[in-house]
Amino acid sequence: MFTLYKVMISMLHDNIIEYLERLALLKFSDEEREKLRKEVEKIIELFNALLKVEGLDNVEPLYHVIELELPLRDDEPLHHLDMEHEMLKDNAILENGYVKAPKTVG
Amino acid sequence: MSIVGGISLNTPVYRLVEEFRTDPSKIFNYLDMIYKNIDRVESKVKAFITIVPQETLYSYVEALLKEQKERISSMRLLGVPIAVKDNISTKGIRTTCASRMLESYIPPYNATVIERIIREGGLIIGKTNMDEFAMGSTTETSAFFPTRNPWDLSRVPGGSSGGSAAALVAGEAPLALGSDTGGSIRNPAAFCGIYGLKPTYGLVSRYGLIAYASSMDQIGPMARNTIDLALMLSVIAGHDPHDSTSLPAPPKDYVMALKELDSKEPKLKIGIIKELFEVAEEEVRKVALKAVDMLCSYHECTTISLPYRTEVVAAYYIIAMAEASSNLARFDGVRYGLKVSFENRGWRDVYTEVRTKGFGYEVKKRIALGTYVLSVGYRDMYYIRALKFRRILKETFDSIFKNVDAVISPTMPILPPRLGEFAKDPIKMYMADINTVIANLIGAPAISIPVGFYNNLPIAVQLMSKPLTEDILLYLSLQLERRTGLKDLIAEVP
Amino acid sequence: MTAKELKVIIGLEVHVQLTSLKTKLFCPTPANYRESPPNTHVCPVCLGLPGVLPVVNRKAVEYAIAVAKALNCEISDKLIFVRKHYFYPDLPKNYQISQYIGPGFTSIAKNGYVTIYVQGKKKIVRIRRINIEEDPGRIIYIGSIETSPYSLIDYNRSGVALLEIVTEPDMENPKEARAFVEKLIAILEYLGVTNPELEGAFRVDANISFEGYGRVEIKNIGSVKDVERALTYEIVRQRRIIEQGGKIERETRHWDPEKGITVPLRVKEVEEDYRYFPDPDLPPLRMSREFIEKIIKSMPELPDERIERFMKQYNLDEYRATVLVLIKWLADFFEETAKMYNDYKKLADLLITDFLRWVHEYNLSPSAIKATPTHIAKLLSLWDKGILTSKMVKELLPRIVLEGLDIEKYVETTGYVRITDRSYLHKIVEEVMNENPKAVKDALSNPKAINYIVGLVMKKTNGKADPQIVKNIIEEMLNKLREGS
Repeated sequence: MFTLYKVMISMLHDNIIEYLERLALLKFSDEEREKLRKEVEKIIELFNALLKVEGLDNVEPLYHVIELELPLRDDEPLHHLDMEHEMLKDNAILENGYVKAPKTVG
Repeated sequence: MSIVGGISLNTPVYRLVEEFRTDPSKIFNYLDMIYKNIDRVESKVKAFITIVPQETLYSYVEALLKEQKERISSMRLLGVPIAVKDNISTKGIRTTCASRMLESYIPPYNATVIERIIREGGLIIGKTNMDEFAMGSTTETSAFFPTRNPWDLSRVPGGSSGGSAAALVAGEAPLALGSDTGGSIRNPAAFCGIYGLKPTYGLVSRYGLIAYASSMDQIGPMARNTIDLALMLSVIAGHDPHDSTSLPAPPKDYVMALKELDSKEPKLKIGIIKELFEVAEEEVRKVALKAVDMLCSYHECTTISLPYRTEVVAAYYIIAMAEASSNLARFDGVRYGLKVSFENRGWRDVYTEVRTKGFGYEVKKRIALGTYVLSVGYRDMYYIRALKFRRILKETFDSIFKNVDAVISPTMPILPPRLGEFAKDPIKMYMADINTVIANLIGAPAISIPVGFYNNLPIAVQLMSKPLTEDILLYLSLQLERRTGLKDLIAEVP
Repeated sequence: MTAKELKVIIGLEVHVQLTSLKTKLFCPTPANYRESPPNTHVCPVCLGLPGVLPVVNRKAVEYAIAVAKALNCEISDKLIFVRKHYFYPDLPKNYQISQYIGPGFTSIAKNGYVTIYVQGKKKIVRIRRINIEEDPGRIIYIGSIETSPYSLIDYNRSGVALLEIVTEPDMENPKEARAFVEKLIAILEYLGVTNPELEGAFRVDANISFEGYGRVEIKNIGSVKDVERALTYEIVRQRRIIEQGGKIERETRHWDPEKGITVPLRVKEVEEDYRYFPDPDLPPLRMSREFIEKIIKSMPELPDERIERFMKQYNLDEYRATVLVLIKWLADFFEETAKMYNDYKKLADLLITDFLRWVHEYNLSPSAIKATPTHIAKLLSLWDKGILTSKMVKELLPRIVLEGLDIEKYVETTGYVRITDRSYLHKIVEEVMNENPKAVKDALSNPKAINYIVGLVMKKTNGKADPQIVKNIIEEMLNKLREGS
């Protein structure tokens, strides 16, 4: 099992970095990419420390550290309508009250 | 150090508030003193990204004293300038996360903790420098500039709440807020010789805290003494209906709770985590063990063993990066944040440009790795496995806390590094978080307490206890504070 | 095997807004955005500003449970929200808070079914799962999608509570798909969770394939009628390709309701990987049996129950009962009228045929219909008493629907009544028989041909003659002719 993971890690080269760039919508410069490749290999090696921990298979993943029931809110409006665009005017580009954004095609 | 009307730069906050309540005009004297000091040291320390101008704070205080006259005598932070980490939303005050992405972002709302501070008469004096989006342990990943350690300007103040810690110990503010995802309050507290507390997950509202890793982030107080720490915690802790992970705990006066424990002086059981002392640098270990001796001369101490180390750091970074990749998806430059031209350009192209220009290397790296550990084929291997390990770790500590009231270790296994030292070896930087990340993984409270110096560099211990026992940590902190005499420290900045 | 014999497989994914909620799913911002200027129904949470956190609307959860129960689903004992990651300009956080089935998380409900009734045949459509999720914002273009130099976004809709209801691929033709959506909408309307009349309140995506061929997803179907239209179009399109020996590509197509065609959506550049994981901002809620039972107990009568009751209480057949019940306002109208008029079958027939036809003809919303149950009850009574003929009823109905014509008054003042005056009718019959000697000859040898003469008399009197009296007169006169010959 562990050797299989090793093989997968070796795949973590340009292909994976490009795939992740596309998925996360960001790019690394050539210089960053050089650095990243070296670092990522070490980081994945660090992550792989977990693969050696035994007896995890039947353990439930712990998503929330504190046992808390999801609180529910009453369906009552508490906010006024934002007629003056207080929520957007300092940080977005507004056009006739709409927020300007890039094209959805092209 | 000048003393005006019984007040000096290092007067504790609890004393300041008493003075201000009797004579509110002293607030202005104090602000003069603070701003004068900022003028003197800030260009060297660089603790702040944004400083609220003195005139603005002056007129704010004038209005406060006039409009809330009846309430000022009960305000718990009346006139106290507070340095706020720049990932906590402040309405009308730019909140950058030390990132180009949010360089000009002005939140239209206040974080819950800010609302609470304002209600208690506290003053937001400025927004402090940090690692970009809280991703780092040195405040060097800030997109703007690194902050310097006031004890030694060639060294880092720690991170990611490095600006808040440096501001405190440089005398630029008497009280501060930080946030802690894997040690970001305790690490700079240790490196700067101040007190810092990471509360139980859910004790302090996260509403308005710009998320790094939501399941571990907590806002916490940073101060120059234990009582001030307790005072700030009392103000910010408590249930918030805006945060679904907020614990339904009633408001609690931690200063009262601390004083009560302190007068009763209960003997507690303290576990010494053997391995975390072993991995520490020699000088750190020596000083930290002295603090252990101080506590053990009164309390009952036992040595305990932690079966995992690298695994803990691995699980922490997998979970943190996974959540970060999700939390930071929203930064696309449309509603807020870095703007590039939209005209005749597709969204993929625009978003990619915004995120490439807006995020620094460390942030992009963590988003990419977080995306990786969540993607099909790797999710079960890394992310789910890390969460399974998280349960094992929590259960391990659940049983430890059945036998002891608190566990002790050095806060950081190393002395504050020089600028640039960590950037060369990120794994070394990640591994230095080993002592602090446990509290975030299991949701427990932990405190960093300064206990000594080596070559004028501060050394601290960390105490961690079971959820919602912050008062025990504060009690032990106060005991150590008395023994070491290390309180209200202000570094001499050359 | 030709394409005509191949089985068609259709599965649907319906997104329904819970329009009865006053606030959005995760923030207390007013949800009734439809009449408002853009970006006024917004707050930090639904804009996805940095640092915000979601808080769940209780009523949305209660509605989802009621819908799950009404769709005969297994309801989860845990409520868990996950983040579904994809970038798109209408999605403020670039992830959608939704639900999913995975390690340690699940949808609110799964494995249900809905009974539909198509051309006299009953059929079961299975429900795979129901998710609660947030609606994205709305994108506006200057001109067309292609030519617009940038897009404009309105976040008023962002964060409005949606249910995503996914069926198994159990439907075999567009009629069944339409019947499913009609039934689903009726159920949601009966539960009072949504108003399907509101623009964009429900949107349908359809998966359609010929057995053994690639599956095509059609997005953006916005009305019941278009479910049938889009699928019919797609079947013709795919069948033609198969008959020409082509391959059906697995793809996503967009329904263009104006042109009545589906067009391919641009192929996705990036492999889909939604990276689901439980939202760390929303801990799970254990939904106790009592919590769920309490919601179920307060549920109103559902379409299937009402159909059954209509069959028993009004002695209607399943077809009539179903047509009435699936149009809730019509079923309500029926029941009100039935309090005053007791030939239920006659009433049902009038309502589901002519009455409904005029409502559609005039494009009336239920509230714009002027006819009241009293109007219809009076109309039918006058018909039963012989004061009005069926032709007159049909003639008067549009005016009742549109103007709320008081039929009793109208009959009184205009004398618009059935002609029963024997001596007058005698004169007319005589005229008609003189004008149509051939018809008379036919009728003498064939009693069924009498109806033709009756029809001629009715025509001459504009349908006002009492057909029974006319028939009697004709028979008398024919007898006289027989005796005379």
